[in-house]
Amino acid sequence: MMMKIAPPLDLSVCIGKLELKNPVIAASGTFGYGQEFENFIDLSQLGAIIPKGISLSPMQGNSPPRIFETNGGILNSIGLQNPGLQVFINEKLPYFKKIKTNLIINFFGKTQKEYVELSRRLDDLPGISGLEMNISCPNVKQGGIIFGSDPRMTYRLVSAVRKSSELPFIVKLSPNVTDISAIARSAEEGGADAVSLVNTFKAMAINIHSKKPELGNIIGGLSGPAIKPIALRMVWEVFQAVKIPVIGMGGIMKAEDAIEFMLAGASAIQIGTANLINPRTGIEVIKGIKRYLLQNRINRVRELIGLFKK
Amino acid sequence: MAIQTDGIVLKNKKIKSIYFLLELDCPSIANETKPGQFVMLRTSDDNHPLLRRPFSIYKSYSTLHPRKRKRGHLFILYKKVGKGTQKMSTFKEGEKVNLIGPLGNGFILPPLPSSATSILVGGGVGMASLSALGEVLGSGKLYVFIGGKTKDDILCEDDFPKGKVFIATEDGSRGKKGTVVDLFLSEIERFDRGRPHNVYICGPEGMVKSLSKALKSKKWIIQVSLEARMGCGFGACWGCVVKTRDTEMAYQRVCKDGPVFPLSEIVWE
Repeated sequence: MMMKIAPPLDLSVCIGKLELKNPVIAASGTFGYGQEFENFIDLSQLGAIIPKGISLSPMQGNSPPRIFETNGGILNSIGLQNPGLQVFINEKLPYFKKIKTNLIINFFGKTQKEYVELSRRLDDLPGISGLEMNISCPNVKQGGIIFGSDPRMTYRLVSAVRKSSELPFIVKLSPNVTDISAIARSAEEGGADAVSLVNTFKAMAINIHSKKPELGNIIGGLSGPAIKPIALRMVWEVFQAVKIPVIGMGGIMKAEDAIEFMLAGASAIQIGTANLINPRTGIEVIKGIKRYLLQNRINRVRELIGLFKK
Repeated sequence: MAIQTDGIVLKNKKIKSIYFLLELDCPSIANETKPGQFVMLRTSDDNHPLLRRPFSIYKSYSTLHPRKRKRGHLFILYKKVGKGTQKMSTFKEGEKVNLIGPLGNGFILPPLPSSATSILVGGGVGMASLSALGEVLGSGKLYVFIGGKTKDDILCEDDFPKGKVFIATEDGSRGKKGTVVDLFLSEIERFDRGRPHNVYICGPEGMVKSLSKALKSKKWIIQVSLEARMGCGFGACWGCVVKTRDTEMAYQRVCKDGPVFPLSEIVWE
């Protein structure tokens, strides 16, 4: 009897010139500096890791309370707390030497000059596979949101940073804009290799007993399954608007969610909030995608990208 | 080392009013636990509620513990207050519960042999970690101050056979009427002589704040175990921070850098 041997599954995807062994990325701000997860998973199995965002100087973050659970979501107002680039290089970066996956650095600045300097300095460091530029944190005035809400500002910043770094360059977009496709197009015109979306939605909650806000900062960013349908719609819209790869995120809790994002046009996906709840989520999503491909007789995961049928 | 694992529910019973005791078979965490550490427990796997909930480890028996029938068991004392603990209160014997733990730094014990006096001040479920601590303290004198709103909120009073236990309730239904802080301060003269004492505090923020103010001038070694809303519990999200006197990074994580801090390190906002 003839046995038909199925070719091995190919989970690899490309973000510009950066190849990932699978499309599952740990999202910035929800994955610490990687090491926090080493007891729970083999980090090398992920497609890429994006540690917590880095600025030139240390940032102390917002006053607590910084986190509050809502129906199907989490409000946070961490405020980009980080020890600054130099401490990051000295104390956090060396850990990744033994991790066999792509390290993408998320960074942000207060001014265009700071963004450019950061990208230039990151470009010189060994062991970094790519950059993700944050122009979308809702919690800090200086978190780059000003650059992420006006297409002309986005274009200007992206083209300036593009000139200062050779690394694969992703721009992380805010959903708190009138037309996310316009911002995505500006990033593409400015020379970005990919866009990632969405960051959190500006949101708030009030305690009716104390009559005070649940977050110290009053307004925070909403993430988690509650935002998934809106994030998915935005990924679909941006996928139609640009030619560069789109990295999708927003409430992905399981493989089925990740597949939905890929069908809507995402070349890769990021897992955020779910990391906090189940640190194994990334690994389980990779397994679930494999299972789906086998069941659907698809060999290459990239065939899923934008396969959504109208 | 913290791990993610399933525990199996052995018992889950109401001990009084809205307080419950959950007994789990979970040897891998029970073997590693120190007093003052906690677990992040997933109360539901359908994302309602979404986040795990932090719980102090009340009692834990390693797999080598002399009480053979308790080996590998982990106890959590919890108060049914919200969605998460409501779900927990329905856990049935034999059910699997996903845990991450043991987490946090735990109390720092005085160097052995310890003959120093220990003073424990706690309120509500904050007594759980103090009870765990009480079991490992040295031979010195032990004073335990327990507070609550009513007699139903007085927990763990029988856990300190070697200690002198003082009780205060705000409504006066048990012990002295008033807060546990008032009661402690009314007894404080008896501690003013002799060597510096070891003081351990765990309870609601209001209680901890007023103790912090009252004990400012004391040259005692005071440790406080803080409660906070947590995202992950293992240091990844920076959601549970508290302001400290640390000059490089003022906001420290309650989950990873704590939950136990020297009281003098905390800056109350």
